[in-house]
Amino acid sequence: MRIQVRRTGGFAGIERRGEVETSGRPDAAEWHALAERAVASGPGTPPAGVPDGFSYRITVDDRTVYCADPRLTEDQRTLVSRVLKEGA
Amino acid sequence: MTTHGGFQPVFCTVVPPHVLDRLARSDDPARSGPARRTLRRDGELRTLRQVTTEFRLAAEPDTRAPSDQPARTIHDAGHRTDLPGAVVRREGEPPGQDATVNRAYSGLGATFDLYLRVYGRHSIDGEGLPLVATVHYDEQYDNAFWNGEQMVFGDGDGEVFLDFTLPLDVIGHELTHGVTQHTANLTYYGQSGALNESVSDVFGSLIKQYALGQTAAEADWLIGAGLLAPGVTGSALRSMKAPGTAYDDDVLGKDPQPATMAGYVRTGRDNGGVHINSGIPNHAFYLAAAALGGHAWEKAGQIWYDVLTGGELAERALFADFAGLTVKAARERYGDGGDEFEAVRKAWEQVGVRIL
Ligand SMILES: [Zn+2]
Repeated sequence: MRIQVRRTGGFAGIERRGEVETSGRPDAAEWHALAERAVASGPGTPPAGVPDGFSYRITVDDRTVYCADPRLTEDQRTLVSRVLKEGA
Repeated sequence: MTTHGGFQPVFCTVVPPHVLDRLARSDDPARSGPARRTLRRDGELRTLRQVTTEFRLAAEPDTRAPSDQPARTIHDAGHRTDLPGAVVRREGEPPGQDATVNRAYSGLGATFDLYLRVYGRHSIDGEGLPLVATVHYDEQYDNAFWNGEQMVFGDGDGEVFLDFTLPLDVIGHELTHGVTQHTANLTYYGQSGALNESVSDVFGSLIKQYALGQTAAEADWLIGAGLLAPGVTGSALRSMKAPGTAYDDDVLGKDPQPATMAGYVRTGRDNGGVHINSGIPNHAFYLAAAALGGHAWEKAGQIWYDVLTGGELAERALFADFAGLTVKAARERYGDGGDEFEAVRKAWEQVGVRIL
């Protein structure tokens, strides 16, 4: 499974990207479960954000969802922070 | 430095938070000016108490009008994301051990102060709306935002970004999003979104300049100075004086802001480049303020404020619409063909925005 996150906007307006390929990872099952939950609830088009809020695009294999601060689910928040940190 | 626990120099070494805080309490601008200079010189809390007591006694409370005092509440999210989080400081309570809380409280006071003393505006809605901020949002969170009701500040990751309450102009920027929401309500996308961003940068910078007593020539015109961690190659996040030059770093990349329409960036990201193309109206404001000289909040700031609150600025205004209204406001307030009118007209011409 390939998990990609793109974060745009924010006060600084600086884009960040991360990508994690789970195949072969010892924690792959955990990533799969988290990614499935994160994309289950997101819309397919970018929602309206708040001034200076981050906007996120999460792509899990061929599925893409969008979300924006501060309205992320707990799973989306966990996923984007892990992917941006570990897959930068 | 002081007997207060947890006190640290904040926005810069010149303006400690308690000074900014107390400045909001003076009622007579003619007296707060000299008082401000005195306070800046010695920074003694004892003097501050005497000064503010004097002003308080002189002020007659009017229960019908909104208060001339802010109503601030600072919350601590405890590194989680539930808003607003636990209350850690209410209006009138003394500074505590947490410098971030103290900075947010003082920054809200400095912002309230500029809007009230200079533009006669009571808080973000003009009717004394309480000011709410949450600090320590999420973990290592590299951002600050306005959620439609309150300000939210992250601590930064410590490697690229430091605490977002550090620059006073960032606090002023976020609160000004509230002012815009309650006035022109510029749509946060494309050119109107870039104008929304620019208005926040303009008044964020003016709040800092006012607190420091700087003229247009003395001001740094930077947004987010002090926010970048040591080792990052850059002075701030944006420069109104020289858009595109604030940073150029291996990790951050290069400041993408254009200064003129020739560099206008068409993109769908960042709500249509709101933090990128804001460089153009930002630079126009700088040029007008620099041409007029003196305190930027007095003339250039007044003209921009007139446009923001005048009722003629459309929610989906384009740069040319905004520019036209600033020229009109300069003429109405300061006269046709005057220095103000000429400075504003030329500023837009220099950044390539044609006034229709
Ligand atoms: Zn903003």
